[in-house]
Amino acid sequence: MTRTSDLIDLLVADAKPVRRLRHPAARASCWLLFAALVMFLVGLAHGVRADLAVKLNQPLFVISVAAAMATGILAAMGAFLASVPGMSRHWLLLPAPASLVWVATLGYGCLTHWVSIGPEGMSPGETARCFATLVLVGMPLSLVMLIMLRHVARLSPGPVAMTGSLAVAAITAVALSILHPLDATAMILLWNLGVAALYLSLSGRYGERLLSWVTQR
Amino acid sequence: MLRHSHPPSPASGSDKEGLASLTPGGQEAPAAKRADGKLDWSITMASAQMGDLNAYRRLLQDITPYLRALAARHIRNADDLEDTVQDVLLTVHSVRNTYDPSRPFAPWLVAIANRRIVDGLRRHGRVCSHESSVENELETFSADEANLQEEAADAHVVRAAIDQLPVGQRNAMRMLKLEEMSLQEAAAASGMSVAALKVATHRAMKRLREMFRQRGSKT
Repeated sequence: MTRTSDLIDLLVADAKPVRRLRHPAARASCWLLFAALVMFLVGLAHGVRADLAVKLNQPLFVISVAAAMATGILAAMGAFLASVPGMSRHWLLLPAPASLVWVATLGYGCLTHWVSIGPEGMSPGETARCFATLVLVGMPLSLVMLIMLRHVARLSPGPVAMTGSLAVAAITAVALSILHPLDATAMILLWNLGVAALYLSLSGRYGERLLSWVTQR
Repeated sequence: MLRHSHPPSPASGSDKEGLASLTPGGQEAPAAKRADGKLDWSITMASAQMGDLNAYRRLLQDITPYLRALAARHIRNADDLEDTVQDVLLTVHSVRNTYDPSRPFAPWLVAIANRRIVDGLRRHGRVCSHESSVENELETFSADEANLQEEAADAHVVRAAIDQLPVGQRNAMRMLKLEEMSLQEAAAASGMSVAALKVATHRAMKRLREMFRQRGSKT
């Protein structure tokens, strides 16, 4: 076993000047700006949904999109704040009220959708396009957040990663609500939180091996 | 949250005054001391972040006993305790860029330490659930029968027994078993075919087994 004093010598020898992380709120804002840019670019390429003007007059749609956007913004803030060691983990609850409103409108939306159109109403073509948009918006956002929050990997990554995924899911849901005529929120939530859960289980299983590889170098 | 006996950082306001006294490169900065004469971890970490190696060494040396005390509240085994302390130091090193000198140092350190202590306890629990301690059992029985195997493996006795074998079998045993040659090497060296070597070895082993069995029954 290495003696602790020897380890300190090694760490001091390895110490280079580091750039401090910016304030979590500033970093969350950067991520949200990036999210806005991605949404804008995808919107530019895809075009908004044809019935957007009609939809914007429906209070339920407006509440749902606003709640999703609030969830996205607050979840991003919460994830970035809670990722810093020593900050309260209660920040992770920041998006809870907005996400409750979002999920409530989602449940209602699904129900009306089911009753008014029926299961055969969803064409696979539209669903596939939906999924493509989802991946197109969600992947870069997840990737950038993963890179920005990588320092949390050695702390307790689970709750932070879940909240970060919630932010990605909410922003993606906003994009899809504006771009696509179908209510795909359930799919988005399943996809984003499912990917997060998969990532977490993999990192839990292989994390230590990865870390020992990193520290060996 | 664990309480610490050595509150290391002053209020955030006084940090800025301490930082202002640092040279830009962080070099030759005097040890940042608090009013009670102890090292100010917050200011020291700030200069360590800027590349002051002496400050970094002082900081790591100063927090180590504190971390050891934190870990000792949960971990009894001395080896596990030192492992956990080293783990905390490694994590502090890898995430030292996340420390913001405008915030107190202790909650930052304690959050990291608690994480690693919990990990250490989990690791310990996992290992313990798969392992059971075994006492060293060095005693053996005094009766000769219990030690026959050791006698049989006595190289001197085996060599003497091989010398009693017919020439072909003796050579095969010597080359293949004692000198550990491969069948091909032994065939090349002796001029016998591989099949003949195999047969000779087989017969030799059978003969030796009989010889030792007879000797065992005599004793």
